[in-house]
Amino acid sequence: MKTIEYLSTPGLREIFLPGVIAGLAIALFGGVLSVFVVMKRMAFIGQGISHAAFGGIGVAYVLGFGAAAGAGASVLGGQFLIVFLFCLLAALQVGMLTGGDPGRRGKRAQADTAIGIVLVASMAIGSLLLHIAEKRGRVSTVSWESLLFGSIVSVSEADAWACVIVGALILLTLFVVRRPLTFWAFDESAAAAFGVNTRIMRVTLLVLLALATVTAMKLAGVVLATAMLVLPAAAAVQFSADARRVSVLSVVFALVGVAIGMVLSFEFDWPTGASIVLVLAAVFGIGWVRGQTWHRASAR
Amino acid sequence: MQVAPTSTSASIAIRYGGVSFSYESGEAPALDRVSLDVRRGERLGILGPNGGGKSTLLQLTLGLLRGYSGTIEVEGLAPVEAAKQRLIGYVPQRVEAELAFPITARHAASMAATAGLGPFARSSSASEKVERALSVVGATAFADRPVGQLSGGQMQRVMIARALASDAKILLLDEPTVGIDPAGQKQFAELIQRLHDELGLTTIVVSHDLRTVAATSDRVACLARSLHYHDSPEGLTPHVLAEVFRHDAAAIFGDLHVDAHRASECGHDHSHDHTHGPAHEHSHDHGNGSHGSDGTHGTHPKCGGGNS
Repeated sequence: MKTIEYLSTPGLREIFLPGVIAGLAIALFGGVLSVFVVMKRMAFIGQGISHAAFGGIGVAYVLGFGAAAGAGASVLGGQFLIVFLFCLLAALQVGMLTGGDPGRRGKRAQADTAIGIVLVASMAIGSLLLHIAEKRGRVSTVSWESLLFGSIVSVSEADAWACVIVGALILLTLFVVRRPLTFWAFDESAAAAFGVNTRIMRVTLLVLLALATVTAMKLAGVVLATAMLVLPAAAAVQFSADARRVSVLSVVFALVGVAIGMVLSFEFDWPTGASIVLVLAAVFGIGWVRGQTWHRASAR
Repeated sequence: MQVAPTSTSASIAIRYGGVSFSYESGEAPALDRVSLDVRRGERLGILGPNGGGKSTLLQLTLGLLRGYSGTIEVEGLAPVEAAKQRLIGYVPQRVEAELAFPITARHAASMAATAGLGPFARSSSASEKVERALSVVGATAFADRPVGQLSGGQMQRVMIARALASDAKILLLDEPTVGIDPAGQKQFAELIQRLHDELGLTTIVVSHDLRTVAATSDRVACLARSLHYHDSPEGLTPHVLAEVFRHDAAAIFGDLHVDAHRASECGHDHSHDHTHGPAHEHSHDHGNGSHGSDGTHGTHPKCGGGNS
């Protein structure tokens, strides 16, 4: 088994272990966070946020915060901050457009378009700036594939720590606001009528989403990061209609998806992000088919 | 409307004083100087055509919309403050989220009661209230079912249970009979009666449907931008309805003989019209008799008494 070899051999372990730890941390917070993302139907918003990150990466590279192999913590930290700010701005912008203020009727329909525009514009800005950074010699060569689809070997020890710390922060926040957040996700105007501050709930979820996206990006890339924040719960709701069970299943699926995806990527030398996402998609597919046949059976 | 002479502020659940609201400045107001006292323990119906400002008034009352002129006091508090204290048990017309939402009926019913709990409080501290509320509305049998598998009537019971479990003393129900079959509507009216009689709740039913309002109310306020009429349901004569609903009246109450000309008449005595309205069927339903004393306060808009 290459997996055991990669994780036990000195020299190889230092390269692969941070990615594994990061992956499991992402699975934990992604599994829980995705429940709210799916319940509140924010998958597309998540997609917009992660693509905004690409614009942020472009800015970071042009400013000299390109994360080449062996980059120092200050460079990584600077990059993280810049990308996070980009994601946060996109998240708040898009999130407020899709907000449930009853006084702003009709704005909601525009949000879909707005997210689509943010998404492509960010990708365009990102690729343009990366091109400029490359020409100016700020980075030797940009690994486009790793930026877009992630790469386990690009996850440094510092990145793994970032995943663990940010993950703990996300889980703690979700624990504190879980009740009003669930109420808000289920029935926004009723939640407000019963005293839940819906604006705070919305901003909280968007900030967590931005944080999670930036953190998951090293491993899964811009394109696949959102999958980690959507697929686990999307698969879980196919198997249960009880919120607590869905949360547990979602975390289990995320952990299993990351574990199996990583083993597949080690054994067959497949890209890690793609392997993880495909395993999660397969779990979703199984649940969906099962749900379809079950519904048909119960409809009789 | 003038405050009834016997009313003191201690017996008022919600007080609207000259409430006006426009969605865009310069636009015609959605609400125009609406004044109304909702008394504690009464069953009030707010009847009006679609687009008549019912949901605007409802959202203002719940603190969901701001920027109105005039005063709204819920137990003496501004709506947003009242919402924080969960004074009003809001029962929405339908849940915004898709019903694919992965929760059980019991969980949905517990949300208002647990939303204010601290992060480390156990939800079991509210579960006794939730179980009692589920039992009062008759939802215990399907409490473990996912909300996606509930019928419209069952979901409504769960939403009423959610409001009851939050300890609200005022129930505010938005279009409660839309999408509910006739048998379910009858059960709903009985439930409202029971909540009123047994728990002493103030109930406010907001609807465009005359039958719904007549079956669940002792007193009716007709809202079409401004408050048009304000009396017991049997006083809802065809010409009052014609005034409130204008062109909609024939469409909604096709079986009524609507005479638009008579809408312009002033008439404090509506008794001669009783036999024409479906409200008449329900005139025996009233429990506390509070409507009787109000008859003389009901004024017709054309008589200048619609707004204070």
